[in-house]
Amino acid sequence: MAQVTRKSWEAAFAKLEASLKKLSPSKAKDLAALDRLRVALLGRSGTLTELLKSLKDLSIEERRELGPKAQELRAALEAAFDARKTALEAQADDDAAAENALDLTLPPHVPPRGRVHPLTSTLEEMTRILSLMGFSWAEGPLVESDDNNFTKLNIPEHHPARGMFDTFYLKDSPLLMRTHTSPVQIRTMESTRPPLRIISPGRVFRHEAVDATHSAVFHQVEGLYIDKGVSFADLKGTLDVFMQKLFGAKTRTRFRPSYFPFTEPSAEVDVSCLFCESKGCSICKNSGWIELLGAGVVHPNVLSAVGYDPEVWSGFAFGIGVERIAMLRLGVSDIRAFYENDLRFLKQFDENLV
Amino acid sequence: MKISYNWLKEHIDPGISATDLAPHLLQLGFEVSSLERRGPAFSGVVTAQILEIGKHPNADRLSLCTVTDGSRKLSIVCGAKNIAVGQKVPLAVIGAKLPGGREITPAKIRGVESQGMICSASELGLPGENGGILVLSPETAVGADFSKAQSGGDDIMEVEITPNRPDCLSHLGLARELSALFRIPLKERPAPKVDASGDCWPVELEAKDACPRYLGRVLTGLQVGPSPGWLAAKLEAVGLRSINNVVDVTNFALMDIGQPMHAFDLDKLEGGKIIVRFARKEETIRALDEKEYKLTPEVLVIADAKSPQAIAGVMGGLASAVGAKTTKAFLESAHFAPPAIRKSSSLLRLRSDSSYRFERGTDLAAVSTASRRAAELILSVCGKQARSSGERDAGQSAPEKIVIHTTVSRLNAILGADFAKAEAAETLKRLSAACETKGDDIAFTAPSWRGDLASPWDLAEELARLFGYDNVPAKASAVAARPSRITPGQTLADKLRARLAGFGFHEAYNYDFVSDRLLERCGLKGDWARLANPISEDWTILRPSLLPGLLQNAAFNLNRGASSARLFELGKVYAKTEAGVEERTQLAGLVLGPAGEPFWRGPEPARGAIYEALGAASGLLEGVPGLSWTEGAGRDPFFGAVGWRQVASAKGALGAVGKIQRPVARAFDLEREDACLFFLDLDRLCEAAAAARRFSPYSQFPSVTRDLSVLLDAKTPYASVLAALPKPGELSRETALIDLFTGKGVPPGKKSLTLRFTFSRMDRTLRDDEIASAMEGILATLKNKLGAVLRS
Repeated sequence: MAQVTRKSWEAAFAKLEASLKKLSPSKAKDLAALDRLRVALLGRSGTLTELLKSLKDLSIEERRELGPKAQELRAALEAAFDARKTALEAQADDDAAAENALDLTLPPHVPPRGRVHPLTSTLEEMTRILSLMGFSWAEGPLVESDDNNFTKLNIPEHHPARGMFDTFYLKDSPLLMRTHTSPVQIRTMESTRPPLRIISPGRVFRHEAVDATHSAVFHQVEGLYIDKGVSFADLKGTLDVFMQKLFGAKTRTRFRPSYFPFTEPSAEVDVSCLFCESKGCSICKNSGWIELLGAGVVHPNVLSAVGYDPEVWSGFAFGIGVERIAMLRLGVSDIRAFYENDLRFLKQFDENLV
Repeated sequence: MKISYNWLKEHIDPGISATDLAPHLLQLGFEVSSLERRGPAFSGVVTAQILEIGKHPNADRLSLCTVTDGSRKLSIVCGAKNIAVGQKVPLAVIGAKLPGGREITPAKIRGVESQGMICSASELGLPGENGGILVLSPETAVGADFSKAQSGGDDIMEVEITPNRPDCLSHLGLARELSALFRIPLKERPAPKVDASGDCWPVELEAKDACPRYLGRVLTGLQVGPSPGWLAAKLEAVGLRSINNVVDVTNFALMDIGQPMHAFDLDKLEGGKIIVRFARKEETIRALDEKEYKLTPEVLVIADAKSPQAIAGVMGGLASAVGAKTTKAFLESAHFAPPAIRKSSSLLRLRSDSSYRFERGTDLAAVSTASRRAAELILSVCGKQARSSGERDAGQSAPEKIVIHTTVSRLNAILGADFAKAEAAETLKRLSAACETKGDDIAFTAPSWRGDLASPWDLAEELARLFGYDNVPAKASAVAARPSRITPGQTLADKLRARLAGFGFHEAYNYDFVSDRLLERCGLKGDWARLANPISEDWTILRPSLLPGLLQNAAFNLNRGASSARLFELGKVYAKTEAGVEERTQLAGLVLGPAGEPFWRGPEPARGAIYEALGAASGLLEGVPGLSWTEGAGRDPFFGAVGWRQVASAKGALGAVGKIQRPVARAFDLEREDACLFFLDLDRLCEAAAAARRFSPYSQFPSVTRDLSVLLDAKTPYASVLAALPKPGELSRETALIDLFTGKGVPPGKKSLTLRFTFSRMDRTLRDDEIASAMEGILATLKNKLGAVLRS
């Protein structure tokens, strides 16, 4: 091997630097080429390794001057090799992933899931709101006495208002299928001292032919609030809030006189049409209003019947049909669909996540 | 009821259109459910001009007119005195239809043919009757269709009247409401004038409670025939059929002032007296609807000396009905007590316009005015010879006064309103002339027709109605002072629903009523609670179980192309008891067909129906303490003798799970797939208080799993395998069945079980030797106890 001189070393180093312009690690096209280059430059007998080794043949001053230069190049090259290696590996992974990519538009595997009935979820939504408003849940039997279903609700025998409630009677028994959930109010008042604030949700029965808009079996949510000084104005305020929570903040209510034997004054309550913002559409029959529920101030005879003094206690009651709300909210036009239990129907309605 | 706006305007003129009136009626509590614009009640009437007037050859009072309808000349016989040449008149030509169903046909009058009829206002059902023909203005074009030229017509409103307001079941009644609302006085009408002569038959009032007032009069010299056009047109407008002039007048009065009346043919009545009494046993009557009714002593009747002639307040008898031959009639105007009429109407299942009003309550004071009004009208439409006797007024002639003493503040408190005293007082006075107010105090005497007003609450409603419900404020209620509660039953129901939906079940809602046939298909027999008045044969029994409904739902869905069903229902089931009916809350579920949808990446969804049903039931009951599962005992109607399991808690039987037996599957056409059912008694489940969940520690060291395959007698139940396993000692051990196999490689009568054991220790990592010895122990025990052989 020829004698290394400063001159020859510098010439070799310059040659190496020049070659790097053509053949640098960042230009290696794959991992194999990169490795070949690394061996050629930094391997045991790589060009730069040799140059570093040959420094020992130079004087101490020359070594001090040229050594760092070579070390610097080595560090830079190592960093460049690492960077290129990382990049090439990432590229290789991407290519492999692309090669093996799955068709993610294929139908996914959805874990089998059932649904609660749309009437359950509607009733839940209604009772949830009323619960938050302080109304407690109350229940009672579906087979009732005439007393609880009628007489104590100020509908004595042979009262014309009985005609408003077509009734299923039981054979060989004085009992009947309740026509409203109001008997639950009677039972609760009889077993509780006022004040009280309850809802009685549940199934009720009317002796009438079933068609698209009438069901002989349906569901109601009734509310009852008894305290000192409860007035018609409190009823209006409560139902305003309830309807806004149920149908949205823009919902308005309209109260108009009506008749129920168990309330006085009585009201029929309409809400502004949910579908046309009261502009008039087929659902509200161009009136801008949808008839939704009955309500009123509890009749003093009802309070007396359960032993509450109507001069001390007063209250309001309201009743609302669950099917009616569900039909409006879900766009169901035939009430019978709720009782047909066609899976294609039942699968459509989810709980509202938002 | 149907209200004719023209008719209403005879009582009050609100000065607005019928369309504009509807919202006001709504504010008062009367919904107008339909509004129909109706043209004149005639057709085939043209405008014509009288060209010549000649004498009728055979009759002095008749004229023979030549008129033109613009295109041809017609010869018309006319009896009117106010005709003159050149007049423009309405001419009903051959084929014309007039109110009351009258049709103009070619006719000879006293031997001379008339080719039509010149009409009066009344004959056309138009207002402005003058006793002669209707003379039109000279500018009227000849030959035009008079129904189009006529600006008349009417608005017919269907108004819904709530049961508490029988006083509004008439045109006068609604007019009173509008008068109070609009502060417009009612149009005054002259009091009816009836020149009475002679005596009326005596009236014996035997049932004073059921009939507080009964007023009669005898009408003689009657010429019964078709009603005049105006009367027929009025009745037709409100949906009634014109029958004859006498009956039409009573119907007119019904619709006009709301008092039902009845006229009997006097010649058909015997014994010279009228008796108001309850029917006797065995009595019957053939009513005007031509049906025979068996009467009972609860039914109030109007009788002559011999037999019932009318079901009081409901319907007259056919035998004494007023017909074409009637010349004498007995006109009844009465006040019946609502309960009496409701009772007979519901006993006989017979309703009428009369019973509808009587059972809601009529105005006792109106009995005499209505009778006079009707008599006056009958005399004017039933011929010149018609006369009326004096009245026979039995019972109470004036209603009891009801005075409500209250204060404006009390009414405001009920409403939560702040209506000013003076305004409130003025408003109430519009309802009753006999309302006295002084400062806050009110003494309100209810008008005789307002039987519904009796308490301050009633007056509060009146006040709110007239001010408008919109003018009662809406108060935001105080925040709930006490937190609301939910019942344990409902909490449980909500949670079970959520669990089942999570398991893939859809909730069904079935009706509570089932048929004998449906229960027979399920092999169910028993003494069920039944409806006394079912709507149809499909709905006669209060369901004793939710299962039949679910089977029906499954069959329904399979018929509509579904291949599987996971359904549940939560509801009441009923049992007949000594005391009546016992209700229990049941939860039932049905599993049929593959679990879930097929997935393209396979495998096919499992069809392990019975294990899925068992899994769903045990999954539902997870966390319930003291559960015990046992083999189903006895023969179950749904499941048969074997192949079902029962579950109980410490409180008693909870329910069962099983596969439906073949006869049931056949009955529902469910043989293609195994259908499995489960049911739980939720009332019982509710009693079984859930144990509070506490954290139980688990090992922090790695666990080890080992599988063991053994051959066993095919009949050995898995429960015996679990029971046979040795106590795990210091180790903790979990056991799972990961494979069950018979067939190739397994000797006949044997089965291969692969069990997976997971071992761990709380205090340290397991050593190989202790796992090996545990596995050896297991195998040895299974060999000893069950004759198990290690499968190689």
